[in-house]
Amino acid sequence: MSNPSKKVINTICPYCGVGCGIGLQVSDGTVTGVEPLPQHPVSQGMLCVKGWSSAFALDPYDRIKTPLIKENGHFRPASWSEAYQLIVDSFQAIKQEHGPNALGLIACARATNEDCYAAQKFARTVLGTHNIDHCARICHSPSVAGLRQTLGSGAMTNSIDDIEKADLLVIFGCDPTENHSVLGGRMIQAQQAGTKLLVVDPRKTRLAKLADLHLQLNLGTNIALINGLINIIFSNGWEDKTFIEERCENIDALRKKVAGYPPKRVAEITGVPVDQLHAAAKMYSQSERTFLAYGMGITQYTSGTNNVIAISNLTLVTGQIGREGTGINPLRGQNNVQGACDMGALPNVFPGYQEALDATSQEKFGTAWKCEIPQQKGLTSLGMTSEALNGRFQGMIIMGEDPVVTDPDQNHVLRALEALDMLVVVELVMTETAKVADVILPAAAFAEKDGTFTNCERRVQRVRAAIPPPGDAKTDWQILGELAKLLGYDGMQWPNAEAVFDELAQLTPLYQGMSYDKLELDNGLQWPCNDATPDGTKLLHSGQFSRGKGRLIPVDHTDPAEMPDSDYPLYLTTTRLHYHYGCGSMTRKSPLLERETPSGVLFIHPDDARKLSIQAGTLLRISSRRGEVETRAVVTDDLPPGTVAMPYHFKEAPSNLLTNTAQDPVTKMPELKACAVKIEVVTEQ
Amino acid sequence: MKSYLLDSLENLFQHLAVSHKMFEPQSIPGSEDLHWLPSPKGPTSRYGTSKQVLPLAPAKGFLFPERELLFRFDGQTFIETLPEVAPQVLFGLQSCDLCAIAYQDQFFRQDSYYLARRKATILVGFDCLTPCDGGFCSTVDAGPFVRDGSADLILHPKGNEWLLIPASEQGLNAIQTLNLPPAPAEWRAEREQQQAEVAKMFPTDSHIRTGIERINQATISAEQWQRLGLQCLTCSGCTSLCPTCSCFTTFDTKTEGESNTFVRERCWDSCLYEAFQRETSGHNPSKEAGERLQRYWFHKFSDHYVDEFGRYGCIGCGRCEETCPGGIGVHSIMRRLEKES
Ligand code: SF4
Ligand code: SF4
Repeated sequence: MSNPSKKVINTICPYCGVGCGIGLQVSDGTVTGVEPLPQHPVSQGMLCVKGWSSAFALDPYDRIKTPLIKENGHFRPASWSEAYQLIVDSFQAIKQEHGPNALGLIACARATNEDCYAAQKFARTVLGTHNIDHCARICHSPSVAGLRQTLGSGAMTNSIDDIEKADLLVIFGCDPTENHSVLGGRMIQAQQAGTKLLVVDPRKTRLAKLADLHLQLNLGTNIALINGLINIIFSNGWEDKTFIEERCENIDALRKKVAGYPPKRVAEITGVPVDQLHAAAKMYSQSERTFLAYGMGITQYTSGTNNVIAISNLTLVTGQIGREGTGINPLRGQNNVQGACDMGALPNVFPGYQEALDATSQEKFGTAWKCEIPQQKGLTSLGMTSEALNGRFQGMIIMGEDPVVTDPDQNHVLRALEALDMLVVVELVMTETAKVADVILPAAAFAEKDGTFTNCERRVQRVRAAIPPPGDAKTDWQILGELAKLLGYDGMQWPNAEAVFDELAQLTPLYQGMSYDKLELDNGLQWPCNDATPDGTKLLHSGQFSRGKGRLIPVDHTDPAEMPDSDYPLYLTTTRLHYHYGCGSMTRKSPLLERETPSGVLFIHPDDARKLSIQAGTLLRISSRRGEVETRAVVTDDLPPGTVAMPYHFKEAPSNLLTNTAQDPVTKMPELKACAVKIEVVTEQ
Repeated sequence: MKSYLLDSLENLFQHLAVSHKMFEPQSIPGSEDLHWLPSPKGPTSRYGTSKQVLPLAPAKGFLFPERELLFRFDGQTFIETLPEVAPQVLFGLQSCDLCAIAYQDQFFRQDSYYLARRKATILVGFDCLTPCDGGFCSTVDAGPFVRDGSADLILHPKGNEWLLIPASEQGLNAIQTLNLPPAPAEWRAEREQQQAEVAKMFPTDSHIRTGIERINQATISAEQWQRLGLQCLTCSGCTSLCPTCSCFTTFDTKTEGESNTFVRERCWDSCLYEAFQRETSGHNPSKEAGERLQRYWFHKFSDHYVDEFGRYGCIGCGRCEETCPGGIGVHSIMRRLEKES
């Protein structure tokens, strides 16, 4: 009998930076389900709840299938050529009147490397500006900025496999079992097999409950805590003297700085008792191999970059870096945020972190791309929105991001986008951001395209098309290539994703030794992969640091920009729920995930709840100096008293109406992890 | 029933392929993992004496798909959408998975969607001559040799030849025109003997036995369940891969463009989800992860269900152990129950 159309496509989960292998079951042209892949090196037959429900995200019912043009406040379907023409006319007019820096592009950390490469190339060649950014700004730009100063590279120093090789796991300001579940699961399993677990977090996370030691520090006191730990380490002689001698610089300045952080003072600032500080310092420094992982609890502060530097100081003085099983590992949020950074979807760097304003790099890319490289510094995404409000920025393309929901201070973003002359949104579904657009272009989803994602352990993995895109939808690099041509640039006419990859690998030293054929062989390769390391690199900084010596940089504790006061007496922190992802536009299509958490929620400690007569389910109004939202209460002692938490996935109760736009001075990272709010009970009829 | 001597698996396969769609566990490009896939060309997996590897995803979805259309509503009337399934053969099932299908047959005995698929399906089972990794079918009476009545055709390796046992009416009909010679008389008895020998090759199962005992005697405290429950990341992997899990939920999706038309689908549910049993009022009889975990394992190993289904809900495949990110699949949890009593 005839061959039934049923297949399983080996690809990568689209949700988080862990990069699990998934098999998409395809029946008659639709994805009907998901199978885990036992031999995948990262996921080893496991998936988390998001991975298991990823088939739902591909339901075509609410997909955008044709270009849409807004007329009199309403969208109408249009042909590609009509939509393109509108964009071309508008962009050309803006460029003529205001210059190229009035234009910009926001790439997407969910898109493939090929898409991100095309996006930054489009900005730099076609638009003629370094105004290119993506959402790493709101997750891990401080990691890149901090670790590049201290070590020379902002990525995870180890591989995920090192979790099983460590003697101690330190989980610092992140919640891996909820946000990087399979990796978090591997941590639980390692602990079951005898590895010690130390958690530093203001919240009693799942891992905190399982931990051998949990330091429940006050919100925003990371640097004080770390300086305190280093102080204890020095006073007990627990530092690794040989390592400091041979591989670090600037030790004296650090010694002087941390002398100002004696245990008693640190206990006062952080709320962590002295004996726990002592125990943690000993555990960390005396373990043979410590795998340290950190997340947004470190980066999403005005002190984000300094927080990262402090962590780096701690690993350097104890020599807990540069060996198997020990190192410093930022857990990146979105599936391809590592790749989006690698590809140079950032204003200050070309692909492979080659400086955008450096003359040699400019010449290299100018020659390769056959164009003039812009000389002026590029804007970050917040820079672009601020300039838009100032009337100096008029045209923007947003690829598959939803800044209206995910960015801090929603009102600011919305007003900025509305102020633009031309907003083009390339999207799968009608997001809150897409609603504000002038033109929407339909994009292909992860299961509809070939390409690569780079996971948090720097593993570049093949993504394979399982089904065709619905309607007229196309991949980002195709769309940008066609637009480029209409705007007079011929250098983006690729026949397929592989051709894009070959071009980017040639220009990105970290990827130079990679090709689709090589990626095929062994479930991907970890960068750097080049002539010197043809099989990729599992461990960074083993003989020496990327920058040579590891730099110790003394940093001081600073309070969050906004602290509770009599008007706004509670701290608000934002969190993620592991059922959901980002703005929820994909995960919320699953009836099961949607059922798990039907509407936005506020987590509050029983003491605070009692004071305000709040019970589980009480409807609340939460307000900050920037806005207010209504949502319902969940009473839990997972938080310390005085702090409330809100997940940011829900457009019905967007926590980012409340959060502060105060920024990290280095990276412009907004302070999403702490702001002051007040809470009132709403009387319901 | 009579049994036959089959000298070539190829012949049987091609014979069945004339009038059936053939499915078999196979690997896919970029990986050596096995998946159930169409197999138009002939037996691809290695059967016989070599070590058996179970596909991590069982054949459950052929009969009870992960998502299934139940009906359409066109604004006026409800239109039932029973699946139309062409005759198909699942070739290469192991005994454990066959026991699971027999279990599902009972659960779904009145479900017209399941029955439509089931009636079109021939099950070809193979005896396992060596244990697979993580399997413990012999502990829960689900293998290693195919149980009578669980398959349509049973294949048992005999050197380069095969003992073919038609185990149902449908199986017998399917091979009638092959005109196979009868198998040597002593092969059936030898098979019985060999089963006991293979069963002895499995690693120790004391933890499973202890765990089953503790679950049935209810000697596991709520705190112990709660401690274990902390490790459940509610991924739904165990229930998705468990070949006997059958819970589903329904949901409606609006049909594109039109306003008051929709389709209702059902999809696999998981009893580990917090909202699985949550009522509209917000009340939840199994609010704690520990309670949900307890319920899950109760359903797999309680003697209560033996009365109803004639066997435990667990068929000993070990898939939950392989997929559970929290480290509380069947072996891990039973070891903890053994250790932490
Ligand atoms: S851990 Fe991340 S990559 Fe793995 S299945 Fe979950 S969301 Fe996907
Ligand atoms: S596989 Fe493990 S973590 Fe996942 S739902 Fe089952 S018990 Fe929970």
